Amino acid sequence: MNDLVFAGMDGVLILSAYAIVMLLIGYFSGRGDKTLHDSLSNYYLAGKNLGIVALFFTLYATQYSGNTIIGYAPTAYRTGFSWLQSISFMTIIIGVYLLFAPRMYVVSKKMNFITPADWISHRFKSKSVTILAVVLMLWGLGNYLLEQLVAIGHAASSLTGGTIPYQVAVIAFVLVMLIYEWLGGMKAVAFTDVMQGLVLMVGIVIFLVGAIYLVGGDFSSATQYIAANEPAKLGVPDMMTSVNWFSMLLLVGLGAAIYPHAVQRIFAADSERTLKRSFSRMAWMPPITTGLVFVIGILGIALIPNLDTTGSEQLVGLMANEIAGINGFFYWVMIIFFGAIVAAIVSTADSVLLSFSSIVSNDIYGRFINPKAPEKKKVMVGKVTGVAAVGLLLWIAWNPPATLYEIFVLKFELLVQVFPAFVLGLYWKRMAAQPVFWGMLAGAIIAGVLTWTGYKTVFGIHGGVIGLAANFFIAVVGSYLVPLTVEKEAELKKIDLA
Amino acid sequence: MEKKQIKEPIRKKWIWIALLLIVIGNVPWYLPIGSYEPLIFGVPYWALIILAFSLILCGFLSWVTLKEWDIVEDEEEAEKRGRVNE
Repeated sequence: MNDLVFAGMDGVLILSAYAIVMLLIGYFSGRGDKTLHDSLSNYYLAGKNLGIVALFFTLYATQYSGNTIIGYAPTAYRTGFSWLQSISFMTIIIGVYLLFAPRMYVVSKKMNFITPADWISHRFKSKSVTILAVVLMLWGLGNYLLEQLVAIGHAASSLTGGTIPYQVAVIAFVLVMLIYEWLGGMKAVAFTDVMQGLVLMVGIVIFLVGAIYLVGGDFSSATQYIAANEPAKLGVPDMMTSVNWFSMLLLVGLGAAIYPHAVQRIFAADSERTLKRSFSRMAWMPPITTGLVFVIGILGIALIPNLDTTGSEQLVGLMANEIAGINGFFYWVMIIFFGAIVAAIVSTADSVLLSFSSIVSNDIYGRFINPKAPEKKKVMVGKVTGVAAVGLLLWIAWNPPATLYEIFVLKFELLVQVFPAFVLGLYWKRMAAQPVFWGMLAGAIIAGVLTWTGYKTVFGIHGGVIGLAANFFIAVVGSYLVPLTVEKEAELKKIDLA
Repeated sequence: MEKKQIKEPIRKKWIWIALLLIVIGNVPWYLPIGSYEPLIFGVPYWALIILAFSLILCGFLSWVTLKEWDIVEDEEEAEKRGRVNE
């Protein structure tokens, strides 16, 4: 993407504008709140007081990254209509929330939870289960963050046609992110998400309008082209793809719903009504987000045919280039759109980083190292560790290890292993700590080894899903073997609702 | 005051059966592999079927979220109103 027609100073201008707006929002959201940095709940969860607008947009901007556009359009380009699955796997996340969020919300308010590990620790009262869950969550979050950091650089440097080099772009935006997050915590993250989410939504629609204009306003001309040249991309996919589609629904649905930053948004809601309404609106977002990105990818097949895998990764930039060439209006809209992509990546990265810091503050430092420390100190430790972690991740991004690379790709595969403990534990009182631990460990090892050795999927089923099946099996069968004591049962009555 | 019935989605089996059926319909395993005709407004027939199921999935989940989930909402909203009236 080094020769965008809109490359250069105009791009730098727009990116700077985005950066300034983000900093201003961060500054104002932190100003005037003297208790913000003295309390874990205030800093990491906005005082558990997020209203409908902020909650909805922070759910949206966190779930849909700029990567969703840059990455999903090429996938649609390469695989064709079977990428319709991107609508359903993003929707099913709401279904998984319905499994646990209603009760989790009530319990989290009652017990004043800060992180998902608070729940795990409360439920199982086992150091080993908590530590393993924390490690899996930090690992998943760290890799997720790494991916976003790399994406910021690619998007920003291609927007400015290399006027801003890749590394400078990353450092500049990471600094902006660190500053506003430092100043305002979750409040800053949520309020910037409102801006970032809005520009992303509008940007996708205008991009699609431009792409449809380029194919002559006629979607069927694009599909006719595909029918004549690459009919496989138009047809019903083979059975393996369908199996993979089911597996994707499981992996993304279960994994994305229990992402720590996603769970913390349940904790941060100001009321059940707010949470319900946000989720209810989120259920309609996939068709107008990943759905439209899918259409963009399909149009790309006709507009810019015959790209190989590496070439297709540049699809969004190539199309933006052509759209920007239509006229002055589209030119500026495309610059704003590419800025929006960068903003949307930042909005995902900031939430992940905040969650990472909160786990360090609350679960590592606060739980195991210095439980008696004042909350202000715990918050500070989390913030500083967050900055250090970003530094380390940047170093990894620029010096990618020659081997073990796959370790840094594992996200959902590992995270999803926390699911049985997290959700089943909410309803099933028999569930015992030891089998949960061994299940989680076995699941993580199976998922890790399969992915690492190149078997990302077996007969279309993801390694993470296979690991999860083993995990469930061990946790459930094992729990039946452990006798349930009367005291334990009485203690667990607390999580009952009525 | 009479104790109000709480609504929690996990307790309603029909929600999960319906969800499973929608998801099963949402993946094109039951359609002839490779077929794409007729094209309707340029869209393969099967993609429209899948899209319809996807939209049903969105609508169903959105609706269930609003209608079948009510645990502490009334208390919370009453409390909020109380605070405002103070």
